[in-house]
Amino acid sequence: MTTTHEEFESIAALDAVGAATPEEERALRDHLATCADCRRARDEYGDAASLLARGIDPVSPPADVRERVMDAVVDDGNVVELSSRRGSHRWWLATAATLFLALWGWREVGIRVAREHVRNQEAELKTLADEKAILQQQKEKLAAEMQALGSSGTKTIALSGQNAAPTASARVFLVPEHRRAIVFFSNLPDNPKDKSYQLWIIRADQPKPQSAGVFDATHGSATITIENLPVETEIKALAVTREPRGGVEQPTNTDFVVMGKT
Amino acid sequence: MSVETTTLLPAVARGDLVAFEQLYDRYSSTLYALLLRILSNPEDAQEVLQESFVKVWTNATSYDVERGSEAAFLISIARSRGIDRLRSRKIRSDRENDAGREISTVSSFVVTKTGADDAIQSEERKAVRGALTELPDAQRIALELAYFDGLSQSEIAAKLGEPLGTIKTRMQLGMKKLRERLRAYQ
Repeated sequence: MTTTHEEFESIAALDAVGAATPEEERALRDHLATCADCRRARDEYGDAASLLARGIDPVSPPADVRERVMDAVVDDGNVVELSSRRGSHRWWLATAATLFLALWGWREVGIRVAREHVRNQEAELKTLADEKAILQQQKEKLAAEMQALGSSGTKTIALSGQNAAPTASARVFLVPEHRRAIVFFSNLPDNPKDKSYQLWIIRADQPKPQSAGVFDATHGSATITIENLPVETEIKALAVTREPRGGVEQPTNTDFVVMGKT
Repeated sequence: MSVETTTLLPAVARGDLVAFEQLYDRYSSTLYALLLRILSNPEDAQEVLQESFVKVWTNATSYDVERGSEAAFLISIARSRGIDRLRSRKIRSDRENDAGREISTVSSFVVTKTGADDAIQSEERKAVRGALTELPDAQRIALELAYFDGLSQSEIAAKLGEPLGTIKTRMQLGMKKLRERLRAYQ
């Protein structure tokens, strides 16, 4: 069956309001490809259909819809000419972004400073804790020394200055009960930085001296505590030499600083 | 209808955002009212309005002034997207429930009016309404069910309880009258 131009125009009329069937749409599309008159009719029906919408009272959309539309269009990237309003909008956005970044940066700096402050506080707390531990050790040491000095079984040995330091002296408090000895040095010359003082014990049952400790003198004074003394064997003498810093296994010289016999 | 203003779409097609803003200001109220009529939901209508204008921006180059008016071009895009949204959200059943009320009140162009209209658009709308009121109710109702509700010929026939052929004829006659009236104004 052949469809006439008039029938195609009728289909175009339906198509303009979206009421043509899919078959009618296809037939119309094919026909329009070759028929200028029917294309014109289709266009006129399109305009006529728009009258249905143009008869409605207009309703203004919310203002933010306009903003969204313009943002979407600008983001599309095909804008050749921008309006001044868009420009001011972008300027406002740029200013807001700059302000936001500045505030953000300020906040970050503040956080960094606060973190640094916390780290410093933590370091100071650790230092104080270490000092407290040292003081606690010193307190215990002093208590032990006081107990040793006051004990009835405590023996005292005097060490006198030798050629290396004639004015130096030392006093040894032996506490056999606790196998402990406390030695107080005075008038000791300050030891060179590469040297340490080393206390030796000469025992009756040992051919060689035994190290009893390494120490430095401060303003001529020093105190050293010897633990686990071999009280069951005779201690013949105590002596101090200057040795390489940190001490040695055996004395490297006989240039005694102080020495004393029991 | 005979008071068409300067066509903006050629400038929009060249990427002129100023022209696009003018185009939005000129037609957004008409398109929004159309989408409210189709979707009965402000959020949906605003979203589709935005989509429609973005499509106008990207498709402005396809506009041919010889093929129809600028208003018809924009309305066609908005109406098509509005009907697509209506169908995709499967809210037609709700719309159908409302359809009876709309038909009985003949209210297609009695929508809440807001915003300021310029004198030209008011004059145009007055003329359009005159053309629409000249249509017999039966023809106008059939056209509105197709145009605003996206119903097919058979769906309209079923809804109105009329033979399919009758509905088709009514719609064709109604469109021919609108076309003749449009020609008379131009």
